[in-house]
Amino acid sequence: MGREKEKEKLSEKALNLLRSRLSDPNFIFRPLSDSPDSNYSKLKFIISTSVTEACNNSILLLGPRGSGKVAVLELVLSDLLQQYPEAISVIRLNGLLHSDDNCALKEIARQLCMEHQLLFSKVASFDDNSQFMIAMLRECGLAHKTIIFVLDEFDFFAQGKQRLLYSLLDAMQSVNSQAVVIGVSCRLDVDQLLEKRVRSRFSHRKLLFLSPSKEDTERFMEHILSLPMDSSLPHNYAAEFNGRLKKILSDERFKELIDTYLSFNFTIGHLVRFLFQAVSYMDLNAGFLSLGNFKTALSSNQRQPKLECIRDCSILELYMMVCMKRLEVKEQTSYNFYSVMTEYKSIHDSFQTSDYYAANVCLRAFEHLLQCQLISFIDNKGHNQSVEFRPVKLLISSGELHQGLKSYQQCPAILLKLMDR
Amino acid sequence: MATEESPQVTRRATRSYSASNTAIESANPPESYKPTINDLGFRQQPLRLEDLLSSFPGRRSQILELLRLLGPLNSPMFPILVYGGPSTGKTSVTLQVFRHLNRPFIYSSCITCYSPRILFESILNQLLFHRKDSGHSYSSVKRCERPSDFVNYLREALENVITNLKGNSGKVSSKMSGRPDGTMVYLVFDNLERVRDWDKSSTILPFLFNLNDILKMPEVGLIFISNTSPDTYYLNIGYVEPIPLYFPDYTEDDLRHIFMANQTNSRLYASFLDVVLRPFCRVTRQVDELAAAFSSLFKKYSEPLSDKEVAPNEEMKRRLFSHIRPHISSALNETFQVRSQPLLKAEPNQETKKTTGSRMPGIREDFDKIDFHMSTSAKYLLISAFLASRNPATLDASLFDSTGVSDSRKRKRKASEKSMDQKEMAEQELLMKGPGTFPLERLLAIFQCITSLAEDSLDEEESHELTVEGGSGGLMSDVLLQLSSLCNANFIIKGGSCPLEGSTRYRTAVSEDLALKVARSLKFPLSKYLYRR
Repeated sequence: MGREKEKEKLSEKALNLLRSRLSDPNFIFRPLSDSPDSNYSKLKFIISTSVTEACNNSILLLGPRGSGKVAVLELVLSDLLQQYPEAISVIRLNGLLHSDDNCALKEIARQLCMEHQLLFSKVASFDDNSQFMIAMLRECGLAHKTIIFVLDEFDFFAQGKQRLLYSLLDAMQSVNSQAVVIGVSCRLDVDQLLEKRVRSRFSHRKLLFLSPSKEDTERFMEHILSLPMDSSLPHNYAAEFNGRLKKILSDERFKELIDTYLSFNFTIGHLVRFLFQAVSYMDLNAGFLSLGNFKTALSSNQRQPKLECIRDCSILELYMMVCMKRLEVKEQTSYNFYSVMTEYKSIHDSFQTSDYYAANVCLRAFEHLLQCQLISFIDNKGHNQSVEFRPVKLLISSGELHQGLKSYQQCPAILLKLMDR
Repeated sequence: MATEESPQVTRRATRSYSASNTAIESANPPESYKPTINDLGFRQQPLRLEDLLSSFPGRRSQILELLRLLGPLNSPMFPILVYGGPSTGKTSVTLQVFRHLNRPFIYSSCITCYSPRILFESILNQLLFHRKDSGHSYSSVKRCERPSDFVNYLREALENVITNLKGNSGKVSSKMSGRPDGTMVYLVFDNLERVRDWDKSSTILPFLFNLNDILKMPEVGLIFISNTSPDTYYLNIGYVEPIPLYFPDYTEDDLRHIFMANQTNSRLYASFLDVVLRPFCRVTRQVDELAAAFSSLFKKYSEPLSDKEVAPNEEMKRRLFSHIRPHISSALNETFQVRSQPLLKAEPNQETKKTTGSRMPGIREDFDKIDFHMSTSAKYLLISAFLASRNPATLDASLFDSTGVSDSRKRKRKASEKSMDQKEMAEQELLMKGPGTFPLERLLAIFQCITSLAEDSLDEEESHELTVEGGSGGLMSDVLLQLSSLCNANFIIKGGSCPLEGSTRYRTAVSEDLALKVARSLKFPLSKYLYRR
């Protein structure tokens, strides 16, 4: 009994370690950055030269979501902050939060004040803040201090009049300043969004973040999932854990599984999420990862939400959908609740089904379909029109509906027949 | 039913507390009470795992998966999206899991927090242990409207709470002191699907989904609860999706377990369920709707029994079945009246969706009579409104000429194939268009026509006069009053004004059945006036 408990505690500890590793981007991206032609080295070179040579610079980091743009950038920044602790200050903005120019400048002023122990005024106007920023840029330039502006979700800053980008980049042109602007975006065409006056002031240096190669993926998984031999975990446990892990990783079935997953989610972020799920499913009593854990994680990722929705529907709701499908087959382009009801009634009249309910019950079923988004209104117009009269459309194809009906356990046979006709 | 709801009733009031603290709770400690860090957890005895599993029949695998994803104490997690149809136990399971784990969490529902500002302030209030009271005129602790301010405040508050939790974790065994365990703080966002309807949904939704990346705090766990599946959140900016956790609808067996819980006479109730559960499951499988229907049906079912405690034998079951059968079929056609009839009930029903506001709710089809009171002139007004929105305005003259109904259009003609097709098309078009709008003048003209007609017929029968009198000034003001009360009751909808005429246009959403019923109660020959293509 005591041994059991001990073991469970051990595996819990291992699980905790793995989970915190997976949610720590620094740990994940460190090993991918050693090689000289990695994005890490390139980015570090660019930024450190502009710090040491005291020049202005701008750069775009582009790549799909979850490809580790911000994580690599943070790695570089933390390294540089250690290297030149006095010469760098970092301002971080996020397009989701600060896409409004006013708000963004305020945030810049706030972070600059924090950095330099100045008093921040909440009521300062846009002009005040922008003058403060330019003054700070000049001061920092004189003191040979580089300000690094990190603009996450860069495409959001390119909306509207782009006043922030213009004033930032313009200040870098004219004043004797020393700043680096780093834009991070998942839109590859983000430089096309910029206005001419902004684009001409922007250096068109871009770093592309691509998905890792197959070998990298394997190396990466081993790096993350294997336990350290020199930690508080007992040596023989860690050794056995790693041994079993190696076996799984070299298993053909596992490779196939990872391939299936990566074929539709290919970034590191997705892979990390997948590993996290697999690790969470680890059996604490056994204390080791198994192939089954990865299988469950894969199956919980391969969901078909619309089919699930159909399985959740009641039989009456299935009738309503089949009626709509039939209307579509009859080439009636738009239909609303009442036209569905006429179809429903005609089905009932010709086949004498046992499921014939009053209009208000059907209306409730109709609303439920709307709620789970199996159907939706065609347009947003006519809010003052009541639900029954607004035209709707089906959001599932006839193939999906057919598949859903087949997998529905108590589906009346007549529905399948009605679908075909 | 009982299992489904009872955990929430016993809950410390997090639901109402999180409702931006507007609800005044009678069970509250006196005003001097200051919330502390202990309030972030459940203040009750933690639930054992067996109890948790047994209190949610049919949810075993979901609970275990949720526990796995939350992980052991103090381990970071990825955002989770809990989704499934309405009344499948998403919220209850999540909250009770936290009660079982006894970890600090913050719950906010996007129904009660209906705008970004209220949502943000409610979260901050809970994190900063702030309770709205009369001392500071019910204001929130921080005023924050923008996501950018919210993130700054939130980070600050979370750091405080986490250091607080860390400082305490070393001390006495937390089970004793009622302190929540661990140093993770979980944020639960309920009813996320509501956010899609907000004005700023295009910025708030991506913000919420990316909150984990923005905060970059491993000590914070995010849980989203939604009615709709993840694929219904269309974001054009994309995001690394939260881990989905699906709650399917209850199966028939699960429903039986749920309804059997906490029944005094379980044998009797089981025989009742044998009869009703299957037909009702064909219509809906939502626990709340079924529970509403079953509670009244069961009363009817046990009516013939003098002793409610007796266990029924076969013969009695048969007798009860034949007693209940007519009730089942009528109940099937009017399930869940409570919700769809908010306007005719005195108390406003908060749960009804926004859309029901503009729709005349299904009136109980109680065979021949209408089950609400209406004055005679209001009834005539309703009928004339119905006629005005059904019939094309050009036909008014021929329908309501001095002699009454014109029979000219009743000429029978052999319908050719083409004209049949056209007729069908026209019918479809009519169905799609819905009721038409009409100006006030037209309504009053029709009203006058049909009331004068009715008076004629009444005069013939007996010399009593109706309250309404054609053409007099008193009538007009009375009718206008009636009209406005009909508008308030949503029988007649005031539409936008016509830009050319400048006058308000009206429309009625009354169904044909209801109009016919009203006409029947007045003995008014409505069908004669209805124009049918």
